[in-house]
Amino acid sequence: MAEVGPVFGILGKLTITFSFLFCLISLIYYYLAAKNEDEKKLRIGNWLFGLKGFFMIVASAMLVWLIFKHQFQYYYVFNYTSLDLAPKYLWSAFYGGQEGSFMLWIFFSWLIGLGLMRWTRAPYKAPVLFFLGLTQLFLISMILGWRFGDMTLGASPFRTIAEEMPNAPFIQANPDFIPVDGTGLNDLLKSPWMMIHPPLLFVGFAMMTIPYCFAMAALWKRKYNEWVGPALPWTLGANLSLLTAIFLGGYWAYVTLSFGGFWAWDPVENASLVPWLIGTAGIHTMIIQRKSSVAQKSSLIFAILAYVAIVYETFLTRSGILSDSSVHSFVDLGLYNQLLIFMLVVTGVGLGMFFWRYKELPSPDKESKILSREFMTFTGAVMLFVLGLVIILGTSSPIIGLLFNDNPTPPEISFYNDWSMPIAIIMAILTVLGQYLFWKKYDAETLATALIYPLLITSLLTLASIIIGGVRNAYYMLYLFAGFFAIVGNSWVVGRLAIQNTKLIGGSLTHVGFGVLLIGILASTAYNRPLLDQNTEDYNAAVKRGEVQDPQGFTISQTIEMLELNLDEPKVINDQYIVTYEGYDLSNQNRPGQQTYRIRFQEVDGGRPFYLYPEVYPMLATSTPGNVSWSVDPDVRTGLLSDIYLYVAGSAFVDQRNKQIERQQELLQPASDETEDQLQAQTIEFERGSIKEVGGFRFTFNDFIQADSVNLPTNTSIGVRAQVEVFHFASGQTYLIEPLFALFEEEGQTFVLSPPVNLSTHDLVFQFTSVKPESNSIELSITGLDEEYQEDWVLIVAEKKPFISVVWTGTFLLMAGFTVSIFRHWGRERKKSEE
Amino acid sequence: MKPKVVLGIIAIVAFTSLLMFNLGESISTYTDFETATEMSSAHVPGTWDSSKEYGFSKETLQFTFYMKDESGNVKKVIYPRPKPNNFEEADRLVVIGEMRNDVFYANEMLMKCPSKYNSADPSDYVKASES
Repeated sequence: MAEVGPVFGILGKLTITFSFLFCLISLIYYYLAAKNEDEKKLRIGNWLFGLKGFFMIVASAMLVWLIFKHQFQYYYVFNYTSLDLAPKYLWSAFYGGQEGSFMLWIFFSWLIGLGLMRWTRAPYKAPVLFFLGLTQLFLISMILGWRFGDMTLGASPFRTIAEEMPNAPFIQANPDFIPVDGTGLNDLLKSPWMMIHPPLLFVGFAMMTIPYCFAMAALWKRKYNEWVGPALPWTLGANLSLLTAIFLGGYWAYVTLSFGGFWAWDPVENASLVPWLIGTAGIHTMIIQRKSSVAQKSSLIFAILAYVAIVYETFLTRSGILSDSSVHSFVDLGLYNQLLIFMLVVTGVGLGMFFWRYKELPSPDKESKILSREFMTFTGAVMLFVLGLVIILGTSSPIIGLLFNDNPTPPEISFYNDWSMPIAIIMAILTVLGQYLFWKKYDAETLATALIYPLLITSLLTLASIIIGGVRNAYYMLYLFAGFFAIVGNSWVVGRLAIQNTKLIGGSLTHVGFGVLLIGILASTAYNRPLLDQNTEDYNAAVKRGEVQDPQGFTISQTIEMLELNLDEPKVINDQYIVTYEGYDLSNQNRPGQQTYRIRFQEVDGGRPFYLYPEVYPMLATSTPGNVSWSVDPDVRTGLLSDIYLYVAGSAFVDQRNKQIERQQELLQPASDETEDQLQAQTIEFERGSIKEVGGFRFTFNDFIQADSVNLPTNTSIGVRAQVEVFHFASGQTYLIEPLFALFEEEGQTFVLSPPVNLSTHDLVFQFTSVKPESNSIELSITGLDEEYQEDWVLIVAEKKPFISVVWTGTFLLMAGFTVSIFRHWGRERKKSEE
Repeated sequence: MKPKVVLGIIAIVAFTSLLMFNLGESISTYTDFETATEMSSAHVPGTWDSSKEYGFSKETLQFTFYMKDESGNVKKVIYPRPKPNNFEEADRLVVIGEMRNDVFYANEMLMKCPSKYNSADPSDYVKASES
């Protein structure tokens, strides 16, 4: 591993500095070009914009190169990678940290800027690029790493370990110190989802900048109407990317992070949802503005706020302000003030321009009727916006909560649920009315007639699901009705439009998707059930009645949601499945020491059995005494109607390993008593071809073989190896060992040579202690074997989650609808440009 | 003023007050173990005390560890679920639950995962020139 000198880091910082400077100069040219409508200045601005991106690409390539060359003297490389990291995860380590993710964001934003140069028409072109450049200026400043005395501007990805921790003792002792290995990527991030989820999110962030830029350009140039045409496809694209990223994040959390579900109202999740909601509100008002030249004010304000939401949530998640309330927000890199200024400038410039021009902004001559597409679509947009506000409010608890007490916690989950449910019900009903009115004029009477059949079908579906699902809650019934109404009513419209012109179905299709999503969310979250055996269910019932007390006399309020299984002992759970733990496999492939457990499910009334394979793996932890911590990967069986979600909470293997680690810890203590360890050695005597079963293992003595004389001492009289097969019952693993036994003479004395053979996976040590030619048998001494056979067991947490597939289906329908709309609006814009 | 505007203002004021009231109700305050004794549901932030015993017990089906709150009190915490992933790596914990007889019963637990440098032990590093 050749190490590169400090020059490389200085070069890296220089490239970013160049990028920053070119960005700054391009801003000046764009400003002049926009002010004077000067073609020439615009061209110069474009070249500078291009150069800025070029330098950012060079800097990114340098960082990637450092990562792939394992240059651990650089803090970023040291902190996010290690020698054993697979190349595909070295790629994702590039944006695994804050600094790299800013670079990725800038890169996508730049690419989109190139697209804008090509496709934007005058007079919007120069001002749009000016504002895009302005946002990039802030983003680049986050990774500059300029020093002014005690102040630093930005955190450079090229800072060295010595710069990062100048006071660390090992740096003070040796300033040129270079670690041999990095601390590695968090195991949870070693996932294929990590490779695609963040980039898509940043594409979404970058695209959501565009409507903001167009709105600012419109306000600047006083052209309030035409901007929505070109801005609309970009906003739709931003929404599609954000939606896909949110979906991938949810799926990742569900299948590999063992969060237990796809949504938890975590601040970081909210951070991606709120811009999506406000952006969608903007799409609604832009569509009616394009059709009927109303709602200019709201289109402008939503376009501004959608981007403000992105910057605000970036501030919340990256400034360290949420460190107590979020499971996965970033730590503060000292960017707090910079992020704050970024946010204030974006908000200030956006809202400032808006209110500056407010008086000029067109207002509709007459108010639209309630039963009009304008009114319905506008109300829908307001509902989306209100939902966004509620979520922002909850997420801002560290700031807004100060109104209520000095040290506020995040709100309870019920706060989000209580507010989003009624809003969702209203939205669901509005979608149908809105879609009907969007394509045809109705009055109250004709609309009621048109809705008779959809209402009838909705009622039947609601009734059926109430009866089948055993729904008792009246609120849920209303919610189900609204959800089904959205599905049926909008499908009706989709059907009608599909006959006329398939290109038009985008909007209605997204609304069907929304309805499906609502039904899926309720079914999968409110009707989630743990899988338990009868005894545990009885116990939980007693807990719920308040009949169980702990030894101190307190009433226990927590139910048990775990299931214990002994090896090959089937248990009946929920009167539906027979579950059997059939052992585990130990492998060292992806993660050393990973156990893959085999859990067999069989329906009580027959059918084909199936298996689930949850995993447990050890991670090195610097903070624990034994240096090992255990992590789990759940397994999910996806079904059409319900999923089974399962992970291992504990097992005999993990227990034994923990005890071994403890024992080793004790041995490290100087005062420890070594005889104890020796007592654990036991001797087995067996004949050739015989089998012995001890402590969970089966030993088969296959044969003797002559030992290779090269490895033996001179004057060896006997040199044999025993071929012994070791079979571990629980894991089903077979190992072959060949311990050596040799007798040799030195200075007239006979010595025995029997080097120990280690079986590290089970912490066993074998020694071939003697040969008995008279009985054709051998003696093996084994250390680390449990005297009594330990029962093998596993503790699992399993849940049945109904209709998760419906949630995904709803999301896919939304994505499909957005895609159709993008093609439609994009196609129209392209035609316009060619005219 | 037009009646429509008045109605609109009333609706906005009503909505906002209800929302803020509701938010205030669902937000509580971070405390330490001492004050938590008087509360039925307390959020206590702190750090894991790794010098004391910890682990998941198969017999009680509980995960037990010791936590040091911000006032320096160390208390035993019982969590009725398996040990969460990354527990050992977290440099900050928030437990939500109640105090009983000097033991904290947590219903929820949040972990804050750090920049790894904070927890890295410099003595683990080997000088590159020696390798």
